[in-house]
Amino acid sequence: MSVWLRRAQKRHYFHAYLFIAPVLIAFGLFRVWPSLQTLYFSFFKVELVRGRLTFIWFQNFIDLARDEIFRQATVNTLIYAASIVPITAGLALVLAVLFNERFPGKELLKAVYFAPMVTSTVAAAVVWWWLYNPQFGLFNVILKLVHLPPSPWLLSSTMALPSVIIFSVWKTLGYNMVIYIAGLQAIPQEYYEAATIDGADALARFRKITLPLLAPVTAFILIYNGIFAFQVFDQVFVLTGGGPANSTNVVVLELYKQAFQRYRFGYAAAEAMVLFLFILVITVIQYRAGRRYEVSY
Amino acid sequence: MGRRTWRLIVFLVVVLGAIIMILPFYWMVVTSVSPSPDIIAFPPKWIPSQIVWDHFKEAWERAPWLVYYKNSLVVATISVGCSMLFGLFAGYAFAVYRFPLQTPLFLLTLGTLMVPVQVTSVALYVFLAKLRWVDTYLGILAPNFASAFAVFLTRQAVQTVPVDLIDAARIDGAGEIRIVLRVVAPLIKPVLAAVAMLLFLSSWNDFLWPVIVINSEGLRTLPVGIALFKDPYGNINYGPLMAGTVISVAPMLVAYAFSQRFMIRGIALTGLK
Repeated sequence: MSVWLRRAQKRHYFHAYLFIAPVLIAFGLFRVWPSLQTLYFSFFKVELVRGRLTFIWFQNFIDLARDEIFRQATVNTLIYAASIVPITAGLALVLAVLFNERFPGKELLKAVYFAPMVTSTVAAAVVWWWLYNPQFGLFNVILKLVHLPPSPWLLSSTMALPSVIIFSVWKTLGYNMVIYIAGLQAIPQEYYEAATIDGADALARFRKITLPLLAPVTAFILIYNGIFAFQVFDQVFVLTGGGPANSTNVVVLELYKQAFQRYRFGYAAAEAMVLFLFILVITVIQYRAGRRYEVSY
Repeated sequence: MGRRTWRLIVFLVVVLGAIIMILPFYWMVVTSVSPSPDIIAFPPKWIPSQIVWDHFKEAWERAPWLVYYKNSLVVATISVGCSMLFGLFAGYAFAVYRFPLQTPLFLLTLGTLMVPVQVTSVALYVFLAKLRWVDTYLGILAPNFASAFAVFLTRQAVQTVPVDLIDAARIDGAGEIRIVLRVVAPLIKPVLAAVAMLLFLSSWNDFLWPVIVINSEGLRTLPVGIALFKDPYGNINYGPLMAGTVISVAPMLVAYAFSQRFMIRGIALTGLK
């Protein structure tokens, strides 16, 4: 590199740092600093009102391991994530394949499927709370219309978590469908034509062309939904508040209750570290999978 | 099975699914305008026997919806404005300049995506309590002044702008700030518009952080407002509750109805990395 060019680049150092400064300051103060503080607090008993910090080694984590409620919240979060991710991904893929056909009103129908995505989760959950009402809610009314036994939905500890999952599938289906549709449109039509000439039927074409070529999209959908599934909060807060008997309690809700209702900030920080660990694991998986699934066409 | 029959079946399945998807919206609206006896009638009244506005009147009197609107709007506007402005300049800097610590700083920016507010909320709250920002607009805005997502997508977009164009502007004597605002920004307008829409939507619908940091009724955003509006209701007073929900979701759904192609494409942008 010539001296002149180097000097020209150096001249831009000022602008470079000036331009990234606002983002770095905002993130430094309100993202990075609290992240480090969370780790720090997880080793302390934090009394905010008295302004007192007591170092207690790993006591928070030891308490966590023994905490039945937190364990249940973790299990519920895992069940939630392990159900919603494959269900939405699968349904979205089926819908995307159907949407690849030609039929009237396609854009309008796509918009209908996508509508829950732009609605606030809280407001949508309030509506579903009404739909799930055991006595007058629409779901049980419909069951009664077709002479099926009603379900207690959110009021029973076995049905509450599935009810939350059904809501979340409804909420996120459209997004995943649109991502899959975009993925399908990127597959060259010639592949299908060639396969048809070779005598492959629709199912074979789907299994041998569509699925493998959609693998990167599928990987993205699984990871993206997985990360968000671990952060689930809004719908649980509105639909059940974690009940009945903690059957729908999730990690973020439990963290919220410990910190902002019981003011156990150190303990909640330890719970936040567990949540971070989950996100970290998924991200590492994403990094590995991202490499393996790089398909070019 | 012929191609035509197949297409008919596909169409019917898709329409049936769409009816299920739209049913909650439909029932929300029907409940909000039905006379109270209709709401709990069996068999259900799919079409209200008459349209009444009593539930809206009651919902309107029970909560300061205009204040919630104003709060949501103020928070979304400031956070989107700051995130877009800062993101544009940072994205440009990461795409165009070469400078020491460039890669670590970029990774640090992206790394914040891995530590969402769900994880940092506890320490962030403690920090903001020291700043006396709890229960203020600044408190809601704090984690949303900048967006890693905006930085990342702007950088991607700026990388597609020909360097010659930027150099030509420099030779013409344009300063760097001017180049960003007058040369680069207009060229990547579609991306900027999509990112701004996305950030606005997520701010508008954000719940966890506002519900943590806000105590006063006068500072509640729409999602916080509707969530706490639900609480005092018993089992049968669903008319006003649904009216309140309609009030809180209507603006976004109307905006969506008018710009659904733009919004769907913009939101899908997140998946097309």
